[in-house]
Amino acid sequence: MENKIFRINRISKSFGSENSDSKVEVIKEISMEILEKEFVVILGNSGCGKSTFLKILGGILPASSGNIEFNGKDYGQEIPRDVLKKFGFVFQNNNLLQWRTTEGNLRFMLEMMHLKGEQWTARIDEMLDIVGLKAYKKEYPHELSGGMRQRVGIARALVHNPDVLILDQPLGALDAITRKMLSYEILNIWKKTQKTVVMVTNNVDEALLLANRIFVLSPVLPTTISHEIQVNIPITARDENIYENQRFNELREMINDIVRSTI
Amino acid sequence: MTKKRIESFIAPIIMFLLIFTGWEIIVRALKIPKWLLPMPSQIFKSMIVNFPAFWPHILVTIETVLLGFIIAVPIGILLASLITSFKVVNAALSPYVTFLVMVPLISLVPLLMLFMGYGMNVRVVTVIIQSFAVVNMNACTGFNNVPIMRQELMQSLGASRLQSYRRVILPTAASDIFTGVRLAGIFATTGCISAEYVGGNMGLGSQIIKYSQFLKTTESFACIFYVTIVGLMMYWLISFAQKKIISWKI
Ligand SMILES: Nc1ncnc2c1ncn2[C@@H]1O[C@H](COP(=O)(O)OP(=O)(O)OP(=O)(O)O)[C@@H](O)[C@H]1O
Ligand SMILES: [Mg+2]
Repeated sequence: MENKIFRINRISKSFGSENSDSKVEVIKEISMEILEKEFVVILGNSGCGKSTFLKILGGILPASSGNIEFNGKDYGQEIPRDVLKKFGFVFQNNNLLQWRTTEGNLRFMLEMMHLKGEQWTARIDEMLDIVGLKAYKKEYPHELSGGMRQRVGIARALVHNPDVLILDQPLGALDAITRKMLSYEILNIWKKTQKTVVMVTNNVDEALLLANRIFVLSPVLPTTISHEIQVNIPITARDENIYENQRFNELREMINDIVRSTI
Repeated sequence: MTKKRIESFIAPIIMFLLIFTGWEIIVRALKIPKWLLPMPSQIFKSMIVNFPAFWPHILVTIETVLLGFIIAVPIGILLASLITSFKVVNAALSPYVTFLVMVPLISLVPLLMLFMGYGMNVRVVTVIIQSFAVVNMNACTGFNNVPIMRQELMQSLGASRLQSYRRVILPTAASDIFTGVRLAGIFATTGCISAEYVGGNMGLGSQIIKYSQFLKTTESFACIFYVTIVGLMMYWLISFAQKKIISWKI
């Protein structure tokens, strides 16, 4: 777990043209290093720029300044297209193609990446099995529940076997019970697949259940990292009983204090 | 579902029978002269008896409508793709497309005829002008309504602009595009008849004018009914294509 997979260097982002009134500075000089197979959680208020940061990380948006190193290569302000095969992106609201079935949505990913053959077809089943949707292969998105759709979104982001999984509030639109259930599922997926995961959330319990490290973003624009928290809760303690863990409760108290003090 | 099917099939037939029976009874009862308003039975009879005389004109009308429509639809979609992808194209073309939608076509036809004569060409061009703009406008709406997150999905997996267009933007906009195509089917028919009205002696439009000038109202109505049939055929054809292409929606 010691290899640095990402080295993010003073990334800033603003929208709108330079020197005009419409210019909004959203992110200011965020730097972080992410280790291989690490689970990093980014915690922040609504509108503070979490999605923007993930989009830069995932090659959807270029940064305005700073640079991103991935696997030891410096790609400047934007990760190039051919590297994006190594990433899987899960969107804030599932973003499934409504004219394709569950299976079709996963296959779409493989088609776009020119991954053909038996082993990839088998991988579709494997991924649907991991998210517990093997029985829903032939269903269209509108025939699935919100939680199921989100799970298809996660399976889709994994099907091409990326190194890095990027999740933008994957559980944000779900009810509390489904949300809790799915957060354990994400934990299991992480354990099983051994991916590097970067996830955004606004839920402290979720962050503590999943993260090796938590970065808290400051609530006012332009945002920057206000705190970095090492979540030293052993992996064995991370299950339904995590609420009894002493360290969990200490950290939870601490983060809640941070969040409260910044509002 | 089947009950609904039957309803949607039976209801228009009953309506059809009611209207034409009512029409027939009123014309008979009031003894309205044939040249003013013929009875449906007479019109239907004329449709059959005079079919050999109508047929060449029906063919010409169908040909014009289809040809114009088939050219107009891709032009409309292509132009919409360009307009929504490039700001310059949008600024340059949008006012003219809007102009073409707004201007009463009948006022353009004589001008076109000045340039192109009375042949098939001018009628096809009229149909194209009349129908491409509505395809274009609806397709623009469709393309503009594609959620940004769809494009972000494509960017997240390193797709090119062309790939995004073909694999995601076009399918997402498909139902709006088809709204335009449906309307274009109607506009193509009306556009064709307008062109035939104004000049030339081929096509159902020209026959409607000819017969009514000679007070042969029955034959005139027979031609109008044939126009309706051509319009309905277009409508069914497009609905059929839509079902085949966007089968996931049903
Ligand atoms: N394309 C854009 N153009 C202009 N401003 C933008 C753009 N995208 C985001 N912003 C602005 O950047 C800020 C951060 O947006 P972002 O979507 O990153 O927030 P977020 O932290 O993900 O919020 P949420 O938790 O609600 O999803 C917002 O103020 C938003 O208005
Ligand atoms: Mg967001």
